[in-house]
Amino acid sequence: MPRKIDPKKEPDKGVTRRGFLGSVGAGAVAAATGVAHRAEAVPEITEPDEMVQVALRINGRTHRLLVEPRWTLLFVLRERLALTGTKVGCERGECGSCTVLIDGRTRYACMTLAVEAEGTEITTVEGLLDGEELGEVQQAFVMEDAFQCGYCTSGQVVAAEGLLRANPSPTLNDIRHGMSGNLCRCAAYVHIFKAVDHAAELKKGGRQ
Amino acid sequence: MSNREIAPHTRGESMFVGDLPDPPGLLHAAVLASPVPHARIVRLDTTPAAEIDGVECVLTAADIPGENQIGGIVHDEPLLAEGAVHFVGQPIVVTIADTPRRAREAAQAIVVEYDELPGIFDPRQAAAAGSLIVPSRTFSSGNVDEAWASCKVVVEGHAESGGQEHLYLETQAALVVPQEGRRLRIVSSTQAPTAVQRIVARVLGLSMNDLEVDVARLGGAFGGKEDQATPWAAIAALAASILRRPVRITLTRGEDNRMTGKRHPYSSDFKIGLDAEGRILAYEATYYQNAGAAADLSPAILERSLFHATGSYFVPNVRVTGLSCRTNLPPFTAFRGFGAPQAMFVMESAIVRAAEVMGIPPKVIQQMNLIGEGDAFPYGQRAQEGNARRAFNEVLERYDVASLENEVAEFNLSHTLVKRGIAMMPVCFGISFTSTFLNQAAALVHVYTDGSVSISTGAVEMGQGVNAKMLNVAAHSLGVDPERIIVETTNTLRVANTSPTAASSGADMNGRATEIACRSIIERLRKVAAEILDTTVDQITIVNDRVMADGKTSELKWERLVSEAYLRRVSLSTQAHYATPKIHFDRETEKGEPFAYHAYGSAVVEATVDCLRGTYTIDRVGTVHDAGRSLNPLVDMGQLEGGLVQGIGWMTVEELLFADGRNLTDTLSTYKIPDILGVPEIEGHFLEDADNPNAVMHSKAIGEPPFMYGIGAYFAILDAMKAFRPDRKTFFHAPMTPERVLMFLHGDRLQASTEEIAEAATVFQR
Repeated sequence: MPRKIDPKKEPDKGVTRRGFLGSVGAGAVAAATGVAHRAEAVPEITEPDEMVQVALRINGRTHRLLVEPRWTLLFVLRERLALTGTKVGCERGECGSCTVLIDGRTRYACMTLAVEAEGTEITTVEGLLDGEELGEVQQAFVMEDAFQCGYCTSGQVVAAEGLLRANPSPTLNDIRHGMSGNLCRCAAYVHIFKAVDHAAELKKGGRQ
Repeated sequence: MSNREIAPHTRGESMFVGDLPDPPGLLHAAVLASPVPHARIVRLDTTPAAEIDGVECVLTAADIPGENQIGGIVHDEPLLAEGAVHFVGQPIVVTIADTPRRAREAAQAIVVEYDELPGIFDPRQAAAAGSLIVPSRTFSSGNVDEAWASCKVVVEGHAESGGQEHLYLETQAALVVPQEGRRLRIVSSTQAPTAVQRIVARVLGLSMNDLEVDVARLGGAFGGKEDQATPWAAIAALAASILRRPVRITLTRGEDNRMTGKRHPYSSDFKIGLDAEGRILAYEATYYQNAGAAADLSPAILERSLFHATGSYFVPNVRVTGLSCRTNLPPFTAFRGFGAPQAMFVMESAIVRAAEVMGIPPKVIQQMNLIGEGDAFPYGQRAQEGNARRAFNEVLERYDVASLENEVAEFNLSHTLVKRGIAMMPVCFGISFTSTFLNQAAALVHVYTDGSVSISTGAVEMGQGVNAKMLNVAAHSLGVDPERIIVETTNTLRVANTSPTAASSGADMNGRATEIACRSIIERLRKVAAEILDTTVDQITIVNDRVMADGKTSELKWERLVSEAYLRRVSLSTQAHYATPKIHFDRETEKGEPFAYHAYGSAVVEATVDCLRGTYTIDRVGTVHDAGRSLNPLVDMGQLEGGLVQGIGWMTVEELLFADGRNLTDTLSTYKIPDILGVPEIEGHFLEDADNPNAVMHSKAIGEPPFMYGIGAYFAILDAMKAFRPDRKTFFHAPMTPERVLMFLHGDRLQASTEEIAEAATVFQR
């Protein structure tokens, strides 16, 4: 875990940070509170711009980096590691464009602090490739033409992967609910829906 | 679609503006926007911002070297406010710093004192105060005043439709990199690269040839990046030009929602007259378009409302007037349909109201009045096909609408608290920019010596699949494997003077230009092939990468033909231009033939309303759509479904709210768009044998028309509501939010006496 953090510090005016605090989800509140208790036990205080060291395991590789405690995982993925497949849509957990897998479960990278993600296994859309080949979900998205502008696609693909890992044989209703955290303004939903269903079969070695 | 185009999306490799690597020395721009809707600026102190570490500079209107003017149709919109502000979100100051966060901190540190002035937010109030963007316009045909006397039924009413946030998932963004001398390279998320080039040149006092605008793809646009992408590119260009350093600007979701324009809210009056059978004899409407604080594209959008006033119907006597009203809201702008959906909603409202008065189903009036081949629209052009009727009738048959209606009626008889409704929605949409000069496009095609091909056009890929269509056209015209072809970025150095990718016309016009360019290269290659194979040119065709001579496959393959042509010093590149023929429109008489053709279609929409809670679902939509001979059925089906769902959103859950000019719905938690749970079962079919002689490869444009099927969702919900409250007069106020449904179902009772509320309670027990 990070060395130093001060949760009592006034939040900065940075929009990412404010957006994050303004709509913090229950999970993130719990995480922040957890950090706060530890911080009280270790009264070490950092300045807002002070860096802490983290090791993030992403797509099977470990990256050791210095991060500000307030940086989101989304920011670190894109701006520090050039993993730009994970997109910025709203930065407040409302659109799903930044969906990643953390320990195999779908999470919004905009709602996850980089320091929180230490010690977990992070998978981004880039990590779903099977070598140079498309993974099953990616193949199914191509086969079903499950996108238009492509901006939400990586989030949709990762969400579908997370859904199928948790539930390899989803019912149609499971798919609807499992994918409902990812918005597509082009409204390619009918095809996304079919793609997830198709991907479930591909993963089981079925329909090509 | 070629895997070349689509696999990058699923791999996360597609580069949007925000994904481009940072150039060395990159700076970030942020904007201080007005927090008040209308005020004089009495004091502006930027020093606190300039003193923040990491802040490179702070720019105001005084720093603009050229003209502080970004207006397109009307020159009424400054890039940065000078002396006064006219809407919440209007940019005043630009701050430039080493990180986006610091640039935003700096913007917040600026001190501005405002002397607030009264604001106008309602278009009718603006019209009453004489606050119009341009003089009002009226389209008319026949003689409405005389026609009322011969009508059996005349009904009047109001219709309101709300604004709509584009909510493209990629927010507005631009990256500007200085080049040698005063030149700039601008990467912008814009539908209109040439508009960016022209306006940036104006703002910076440069020539258009000093600027390169490049667009790879947009993460959604829907009209929201036609004129509205320009200010952000101009702001970044201003800073990059002054500092001679690369500058990036990316709006946050909240900034984007607050600062940029949306679909125009309309407030309209209608009057419709019919004979005893339901034939529409006369129609009159007045549209009060809420244009916001600047013209933007409002006059052109209002014009399209007038063109589409009578929807899919033939009406012999028409008079429709449009007023573009200036208010203190962000300048409203293009959004899929471009004013037509607003006008069609009014027409459908008039029909539904007339049907209610006459005691007949709206469908009877709809079907009786569909425009037929040779019938004239109020602006003089005649319908070239009878596809309005074909599509409507095919929907009735294919989805067995009569049985559906019976099912709905039976369901409603046997259910007290849940009611179902059904509505038909025909669509007729004119294809072409109504500003005739915009109907031109160009393509640049290079065949390289290895046989690979690159296509550049003026069309911008924004998810509508135009690149896939250009690929189809080029592969077909050249006779080569699509895998050989790359569709390049849209770049003003390669294709100049582009029209915006808008008005559903991108594939039509750029496809034609691509076809012309490819054919001219093929003509040259055929000559070379005839020489090599020692035959005549008319005996040569190229199919599937091979030269056919005298009806037989020769051993001459594409690669060798191309390299032979090169060695013989034959040009392997061509630029081609296309201008849509025959179209014209006279704005003095308001008559002409503004459209190359019309796209038609019909939908049947089914909805279920929970009459206790006011909630509803749109259950199923069946459509028959006229896509001509579809260029790419997969892409076109995506456009049909996507447009339809956006239209349903506009009519149902998407409620844009302002209070004293402040956007109350600037997040995705307060402004709802359809998600996967809200999408109905959609059945899409294309009209068969519908070849269109007026567009590339007999296709028809498809970007906008399906949006208007969504209007059927409003009337399907209304139909269900009427089943619960047949005693109440229908209202036309979109979006039909669950709150509005609930108020219609119970509002009168809840505000009423306890006896009446008790009476209402008995309804639940019935």
